[in-house]
Amino acid sequence: MSDLLEVEALESGYGRIGILHGISLATGGHNVGLFGPNGHGKTTLLRTISGVIRATRGKIRFAGEDVTAWPARRIVELGLLHVPQGSRLFPDLTIRETLRLGAWPRRARPREARNLERAVAIFPRLKERWNQPVKTLSGGERQMVAISVALMGDPKLLILDEPTLGLAPRLKDELCAAIRQVSDEGVRLVVVEQDVEFLLDLADHLYLVNHGEIAAEIRPGESMNHQAIMEMYFGRELGPLT
Amino acid sequence: MTVLGQILLSALFQGSLYAMMAVGLALVWTTIGVFNFCHGVLMTLGAYLAWQFVDPEALGLPMFVALPLALLVVAAIGFALQALLIRPFIGRGDVVLVAVITTLAASSILKNGTLLVWGPRPKSIPPLAPDTIALGASNVSAHQLAIIAITPVVLGLVWLFLNRTRVGLALRAVAQNEDACQLVGMNVTALYALAFGLAAALAALAGIFFGGFKFMSPDMGTEPLTKALVVVIFGGIANITGPILAAYIIGLFEAVSIYYVGFYWTPALLFAVLIVVLMVRPEGLFARSSRGLA
Ligand SMILES: Nc1ncnc2c1ncn2[C@@H]1O[C@H](COP(=O)(O)OP(=O)(O)OP(=O)(O)O)[C@@H](O)[C@H]1O
Ligand SMILES: [Mg+2]
Repeated sequence: MSDLLEVEALESGYGRIGILHGISLATGGHNVGLFGPNGHGKTTLLRTISGVIRATRGKIRFAGEDVTAWPARRIVELGLLHVPQGSRLFPDLTIRETLRLGAWPRRARPREARNLERAVAIFPRLKERWNQPVKTLSGGERQMVAISVALMGDPKLLILDEPTLGLAPRLKDELCAAIRQVSDEGVRLVVVEQDVEFLLDLADHLYLVNHGEIAAEIRPGESMNHQAIMEMYFGRELGPLT
Repeated sequence: MTVLGQILLSALFQGSLYAMMAVGLALVWTTIGVFNFCHGVLMTLGAYLAWQFVDPEALGLPMFVALPLALLVVAAIGFALQALLIRPFIGRGDVVLVAVITTLAASSILKNGTLLVWGPRPKSIPPLAPDTIALGASNVSAHQLAIIAITPVVLGLVWLFLNRTRVGLALRAVAQNEDACQLVGMNVTALYALAFGLAAALAALAGIFFGGFKFMSPDMGTEPLTKALVVVIFGGIANITGPILAAYIIGLFEAVSIYYVGFYWTPALLFAVLIVVLMVRPEGLFARSSRGLA
């Protein structure tokens, strides 16, 4: 089976500053988790994959197409939806209006009603704030809207950049369950997350991003425990993992 | 007609013209974040193209064909101007300043172009409605009444478009977060073009209003542009309802001031009031703190 998402020797950055130095990864049939120290290129990687910034070298394949040079809007149209880190969304639009914009992609229009129902089922709390401007929402509520917007785009692959950033533990669990539910409905995930438990819960295939490179990888089936990941973070006893 | 009636009529009439001009300016500011100094000359072009299409000496088309055609052509010109003058500079930190220069330059070129093509001889286009209507004891031009009636309808439609349709929603959104727009699959440059085209068509409509009751000249757009700037600064550029309200308030202010203080001192008085308003409310009378339409 060919991979839904396949990234090969990817390089990109901002202006003349290179941030990614040859990253390769693939989803296979699994959910992918990315972690690593701050400022080492995780967000940059996701932005390059979704077409917000251009790759300077390497290749990105999604759903059987070479999308390396495609603009973001065409990649969205293929079913890759990216929830950016700490998105403000559209501060003056209400939740209702924001979700309506989520159904912008042509391929998502026929399933707009179904996707809306699904989003509201996963995040029932949104209904209570339906006509409230997004800027008046709490951080957690805003994160729920951001994920719902992506769900309205009818994703095949959902990219989440630190979805639990700044959330209280209870809300984290709630969000984790919600994202798991999305995944169980057949949407593949690529998740960047600092919270290791959260990541272990959702992803089967982990990559450590360090200095714009993949420094280590835990493949599905290999033992993944908190301890091993902490060791990867701190660079001790890497053992069989490269 | 009573004094009050005359003042109200004049206020509604001037307010309509100001609102029609100011909304386009606000639309471009809220979506693209630049001031369009071509807005006045787009109004001029609307009037001259309408003349070209409708005048018996020129093409002599019927009004109901000529006027929509003029609006469409000016919208297309607006679209092209945006692609030439603004799109290449989007993303630069100094785009606001660059756009001031490019749109001022284009405005001057187009003004002189109008003079070259159509000459200095004053022209006028037929009024929207030719007759006068008896209102109380005096007669009022039906053209003016038509403008007073059409403007709220057109601006109401613009408001509905921005607030009730998905594309209108997208125009409001692009003002607030461009990255997020890309990530839901919007074509941001196309939305910019749409905003500019729509604004241009509104300016052209103002030009058609204008050319139906005053003589047209290549310079006719300059004063309305200045007024539109005053209106959006006064009303706040955060949305379109602010400038619309401000347009009618300024229309009323001028009508009252012209009657009681006189024509000569009215502009000075208006600017004095504007300065005081800006000292008290720097964001404008009706503005909220963030940028965004509707
Ligand atoms: N718009 C930008 N212009 C220039 N440099 C940038 C820009 N955005 C990020 N960078 C730089 O790129 C590097 C990688 O940033 P990136 O956001 O990808 O890191 P990250 O791994 O997602 O970090 P975090 O865990 O803190 O979110 C950082 O050094 C950052 O300063
Ligand atoms: Mg990041």
